[in-house]
Amino acid sequence: MARKAAWLFIFLLMLSPILSGCWNRRELNDLAIVAAVGIDKAKDKYLVTVQVVDPGEVASRRGSAGQSPVSTYHAVGGTVFEAIRKMTTSTPRKLYFSHLRIFVIGEELARQGMGEVLDLLSRDQEGRTDFYITVAKDTTAQAVLNVLTPLEKIPASKLYASLEVSAKSWAPTVAVQLDELITNIVDPGIQATLTGVTIRGDLEAGNKKKNLESPDVPTRIQYKGIAIFRGDKLVGWMNEEESKGYSNITDQLHSTVVETACPNGGKMAVEVIRSKTSIKAKIRDGKPEAEVIMHTEANVADVECKIKLTKSSTLYELENAAGAAMQKHAEHAIVKAQRLKCDVFGFGDAIHRAAPGYWKHNKDNWDEQFAKMPIRFKVNVKIRRIGTIGESIMNDLKE
Amino acid sequence: MKETKGKKTPPAQANSQDQAIKTKPIMPSLQDNLELIRSQLGNSSDIVIRELSYPGGDGLALAVVYTDGLADKQSVSEFILESAMLRDQMTRGEGGDAVRVSPQTLVNQVLSISDTRDVPNYGSLFNALLSGETIVLVDGYASAIAAGTRGWRDRGINETLTETVVRGPKEAFTETLRTNTAMIRRKIKDPNLWLETRQIGRVTETDVAIMFIKGIADDKVVEEVRQRLDRIDIDGILESGYIEELIQDETYTPFPTVYNSERPDVVAAELLEGKIAILVDGTPMVLIVPALFVSFLHAAEDYYHRFDISTLIRILRYIGVFIALFGPSLYVAITTYHQEMLPTQLLYSLAAQREGIPFPAFIEAIMMEVAFEILREAGLRMPRTIGPAVSIVGTLVIGQAAVEAGIISAAMVIVVSTTAIASFVFPSYSLANTMRMLRFPLMGLAATFGLYGIIIGTFAIVLHVSSLRSFGVPYMSPFAPLILSDQKDAIFRIPHWAQFARPRLINRNNRKRQQKPSSAKPKP
Repeated sequence: MARKAAWLFIFLLMLSPILSGCWNRRELNDLAIVAAVGIDKAKDKYLVTVQVVDPGEVASRRGSAGQSPVSTYHAVGGTVFEAIRKMTTSTPRKLYFSHLRIFVIGEELARQGMGEVLDLLSRDQEGRTDFYITVAKDTTAQAVLNVLTPLEKIPASKLYASLEVSAKSWAPTVAVQLDELITNIVDPGIQATLTGVTIRGDLEAGNKKKNLESPDVPTRIQYKGIAIFRGDKLVGWMNEEESKGYSNITDQLHSTVVETACPNGGKMAVEVIRSKTSIKAKIRDGKPEAEVIMHTEANVADVECKIKLTKSSTLYELENAAGAAMQKHAEHAIVKAQRLKCDVFGFGDAIHRAAPGYWKHNKDNWDEQFAKMPIRFKVNVKIRRIGTIGESIMNDLKE
Repeated sequence: MKETKGKKTPPAQANSQDQAIKTKPIMPSLQDNLELIRSQLGNSSDIVIRELSYPGGDGLALAVVYTDGLADKQSVSEFILESAMLRDQMTRGEGGDAVRVSPQTLVNQVLSISDTRDVPNYGSLFNALLSGETIVLVDGYASAIAAGTRGWRDRGINETLTETVVRGPKEAFTETLRTNTAMIRRKIKDPNLWLETRQIGRVTETDVAIMFIKGIADDKVVEEVRQRLDRIDIDGILESGYIEELIQDETYTPFPTVYNSERPDVVAAELLEGKIAILVDGTPMVLIVPALFVSFLHAAEDYYHRFDISTLIRILRYIGVFIALFGPSLYVAITTYHQEMLPTQLLYSLAAQREGIPFPAFIEAIMMEVAFEILREAGLRMPRTIGPAVSIVGTLVIGQAAVEAGIISAAMVIVVSTTAIASFVFPSYSLANTMRMLRFPLMGLAATFGLYGIIIGTFAIVLHVSSLRSFGVPYMSPFAPLILSDQKDAIFRIPHWAQFARPRLINRNNRKRQQKPSSAKPKP
């Protein structure tokens, strides 16, 4: 009897794969892989644009059929989710968001507040949260997603890769992912920032495959400036110098170029190879103040003037000059932020850690406190290497 | 022969008659004896009966019986017939009269052959005769002599075909039991290497030998092997596979619980670990018990090369197990359920390859796997001369044409062929078959439940394997149960000077292999 029951159980167990009916099974060719999503404001509704990859066009070895490697679809809806589902009326397959590379928020939407949009992104279980978020500067997200890019066939991959590379080696961009953005929005001790993406050139020409036919393409998308948010609303932009200073203060600087003037005319550049910044905050006489300590290592990259690099005193001078230049950038960034009353650097968090009691009473008007908080700098630059040649060839150049 | 279950049919009438003949003693009359032999063997033409009579004697005095083809004709003529005839002349020269020679005298003074024994009854007479021994019957004496003249055409010792090595002995066992035991003895010259022979198979009476090293092998396991062999009641044993299936612990398992090898060095090594070899006449495959899962992944060569490369290659084999078992199912699961796990670029290229493929990935995988299995089976069975033609057609049709026709995606071809290649890294063919079989249910699970299904399948396999035993030894040891000291020769193969002990669950009493040297380096 027990034996029979056991066999019956095994038999029923063997039925279960058949009964489940391959729930949630999707073949690869049933997916419309979304590489980028852009959201704009359309009156009081959302205009959602998705960039869908045509894998045959991207990965095929047999030469492309001349079609665009991506297609964009857009729809308007009262909520983002509604707009996305509405899009099925025009997309041939179901949109698949797991491989989202880049999320573009239109400037108008960003100025009015983007909190509602972020909820869907973090709630949906299908997404991987490893995409970057940017703001379309002076344009709409839809326009950004419509530009075709050379070299990297999928514009979204281009945006992803160039943001990653420039954040690593140029500094005035920040690669922000969803979790970090949301944390910064809700944390009163720090304000969010996003890199801006803008279109340079002719907007109309960028939509055509023709855009890829010349070596210097007429239309390209590029990153420019860092957007400053108060809460979830965009309030201002930092320019390139300020952006550099910003990434340096927030310790997001991995490598960049610092340009300094030579003592006797001309210019030179050092390459920052390693940088560590820490913020020390304290309360003195009931007022908050902070010190930014930067330890930077750099290499001499480019000497365009006549100096004696082989003398150690020259290098000390260079270190000081580079330090001064970096401090100047950082100060500019702080001035901009204090004018906007937006603590994008996280000084509030530093105060929170240093003086929790003070923070408890002052966090509600921290913006005001931040705006008049004195910030001092301690910059320590070390030049490690001067490259494969010693003296500049300029020294041997006869004038 | 005993009856184990009441259900079985009672022994046939002929069998009981056979039984009577078998125990029937040799008769004194030579004429009667020869008559009986002839009638029992149905006057088979390969039985040679050579009758000798002494001149002056009264009729027949001596008969020599042997099987043509099994007995070595030259030794029969030289050492039996010639000796007997010379003796006859000698005795006549002395006394002039024929002397009746007793079998005892024959053995002691006449027959110049090394190996003789007395045969008490017809059962052993027939057995000896049909094994190639020569029977000498003397008129007037109720006994017979069996002289060891076995000698037949055999294949000779060839290079191993199934377990090839780059370094190490190349010889393989043959179909002759005696040659095989000699090959093992040549490797282990210890008096404790014991050999027990018995005959199994009511009709075939196949010689089956148990070989073990007394004192190293566990006596209880040896006794268990004896009992299981004695329990066999079957008409014929044609290959060691019969024995394997009749004595293994668990039949309903895809995993082999008896190891087999055709390499004398492997058998010798296993004997040194305390295992027991079962040799069967007529096949070069020698069985070894108890068998552990790890030994199926150990090649003889692991012990002949340096330990570091051997360890690396072993790790490679474990990776091979993983790929052979999970390759297609992982591909199916990830591409149909878990696309988010793929790197983005890979997803694009896989999706591009799947554009226009009419079948779901699972059907695709099944089709490819079945096609491959057919090709493989065809390659094994067909005449060797057609082999290349079939493999060319197979690779072209399956590898290229199917992809170009857009029926199968290129990635699937890669997955299936990688899996196929991975299943060839096992030194043991039986384990490769296991992986081959288990691959299909896993693919089904992957297609219905995704990775979750693969995990379920893996659990089931792991549970099953951990519950298996081979002659009382847990099959998965030294992993389950975990035995730290045996890890020295499981995934890793540490240097020989550091292997002090034999596997713990196999040798309970005598574990010490060598004294502990600190290293192989000579002391300064």
